[in-house]
Amino acid sequence: MTIDFRRVRTLAGRVFRQIIHDRRTMGLFLIVPLIVLTLAALLLRAGQASVPLGLIDQDEPIDVMLVGEVSLAARITQTLRTTEGVSVIALEPGPAAEEALRRGEVRGIVTFGPDFSAAARDAQHISLPVRLEGSNPMDAFALQAVLTRAAVQALASLSPLASQLAGDELPVSIETTYLYGGPAFDNFDYLAAGMMALMAIFFAFILATVTFLRERSQGTMERLLATPATRLEIVLGCMLGFMIFALTQAATQLIFMVVVLGIHYAGSLLLVFLVEALLVIVAVNLGIFLSTFAHNEFQVVQFIPLVIFPMVLLSGMFWPVEELPDLLRPLAYLMPLTYGNTALRDILIKGWGLADIWPQLAALVVLAVALVAAAAASMRREVA
Amino acid sequence: MNDDAIILESVSKRFGKLEAVDGLSLTIPAGITYGLLGPNGAGKTTLIRLIAGLLRADAGAVRVLGASMPDKAILARIGYMTQAYALYTDLSVRENVAFFGAMAGQSDRARVDEVIALVDLAERASSLVSTLSGGMKQRVSLACALVHRPALLLLDEPTVGVDPQLRVQFWSYFRRLNNEGVTIVVSSHVMDEAERCDRLGFIRQGRLLAEGSSASLRQQTGMATLEEAFLAFAEGTIVTR
Ligand SMILES: Nc1ncnc2c1ncn2[C@@H]1O[C@H](COP(=O)(O)OP(=O)(O)OP(=O)(O)O)[C@@H](O)[C@H]1O
Ligand SMILES: [Mg+2]
Repeated sequence: MTIDFRRVRTLAGRVFRQIIHDRRTMGLFLIVPLIVLTLAALLLRAGQASVPLGLIDQDEPIDVMLVGEVSLAARITQTLRTTEGVSVIALEPGPAAEEALRRGEVRGIVTFGPDFSAAARDAQHISLPVRLEGSNPMDAFALQAVLTRAAVQALASLSPLASQLAGDELPVSIETTYLYGGPAFDNFDYLAAGMMALMAIFFAFILATVTFLRERSQGTMERLLATPATRLEIVLGCMLGFMIFALTQAATQLIFMVVVLGIHYAGSLLLVFLVEALLVIVAVNLGIFLSTFAHNEFQVVQFIPLVIFPMVLLSGMFWPVEELPDLLRPLAYLMPLTYGNTALRDILIKGWGLADIWPQLAALVVLAVALVAAAAASMRREVA
Repeated sequence: MNDDAIILESVSKRFGKLEAVDGLSLTIPAGITYGLLGPNGAGKTTLIRLIAGLLRADAGAVRVLGASMPDKAILARIGYMTQAYALYTDLSVRENVAFFGAMAGQSDRARVDEVIALVDLAERASSLVSTLSGGMKQRVSLACALVHRPALLLLDEPTVGVDPQLRVQFWSYFRRLNNEGVTIVVSSHVMDEAERCDRLGFIRQGRLLAEGSSASLRQQTGMATLEEAFLAFAEGTIVTR
């Protein structure tokens, strides 16, 4: 077998010219990675936002030889105040503290009981009760490390020998309890919400974009527009058609997650499905809307990273939205995945119901309506 | 049916700098077959899309079946066959025809089978469109335009790729529709086909060069064939109106 390199070169030339003629693909091709990289850089360079930590201090100081009146709690607090990565908020004991945790004003609460110092002196060991909000597994890791360090330092200042006496074992233990979730929840349980929302959006988006692109390229859109059907009717009709499949997929995936993968969930699965249905509506219309800006399959493929990557980065799946850099946070609030992820996490992990998650649902409904209108308006046609 | 199906008054349509239709006026009485004749890029398809309300004229007025276009409601009475067959290739023949029928308010199954038989595709009614030959696809496309019994048929080069025997059948069917009062606008550059139209419009560069029956156009130029007559008008050797 011989290879005619002239023919190979001719083919290569043709491919090159095709792509160079398609300005939009060229543009997307070069620019999309830059956008995604910029996003990632902004995110990762923003520096770790500090985790708000509530402290309830009821500690009574103890008398220590040579040192005088000492409160271990006060010392730990002092260390924490100068520690990067946490910001300390003083709380009063009682239901208000739990409420602050529930509302997310603090993501953990450390309680120093009245005999905290005395107990630590007697046992030469600090036992630190921490109550975590629990919907972000990263908090547990971060707080654990910070608190252990602060406690060891405080203990050392009390008796320089303490750390040596204890040998290898740290004289500190952190007793963690959770408002939501808990030790039974693993990392997948925390990510499950985001994954579900992402899958629902991703496939509905692709299905809608490609189908609509085909409708336009095979000329049937022209023909449809020459029937009495209005643009809104066309968008709604296609949306319903896609929905049947997208919802079947959402249901299958939900059942699989629960039955086969055994994810933990605290709330209503029916509500989960409702959120997924809303996400699918939003994604289908986003797809219809964006497909008008794509003239070929190439461009559709380029839209995937342009739409999906930023959503994954900014939706709160990995970084809490409140901790995003100021520049990026408004973007996050434009993304359906943000509301989907928050709502699903609230249902699955926190066990919240309709009464608590309705703001997320309302946001999704607003996005859906806006996108239905945008999709109908964008269907290229110069007539009413 | 009342007198005029289509009235165009000084209609213009620009694409960027290009005047695709340039101040064109045209009146088509109801119940006839009107042929739009002209070379590639003359503006035939653009004119048909203006009549179908798919484009909005930059200037002038388009009145179709008594309504000022674009008008959604009147579209139920118009059948539009696009130049390239526009069909769902992953649906069957029957599914395509039934779909476009239902979109125009015609959901009678018997009617769907009737038009499929009319374009001689009864045996292939359940075949996917992607498995049909080029001419067959063209016939499905025609069936989709006919299914809802429109009062006005806009056919953009309907017989391209259709074999001669079926073409003759098509034209006799068009004649029958005319007798029922249906107005047909056909674009073409096949001159012998144009001979079958009641009236012809010669179009070039978005303008109407000449208009009339085939016989009168030939007579005006003193030419034996429509081709020669067209060329004579195009060269400006004959000035009418
Ligand atoms: N959507 C469009 N955008 C830009 N230019 C267009 C568009 N549609 C048509 N044109 C231009 O308008 C002119 C008339 O085109 P049109 O399709 O009406 O010609 P036609 O008479 O149907 O030709 P043919 O016999 O090849 O079908 C052409 O020069 C074409 O390039
Ligand atoms: Mg044409």
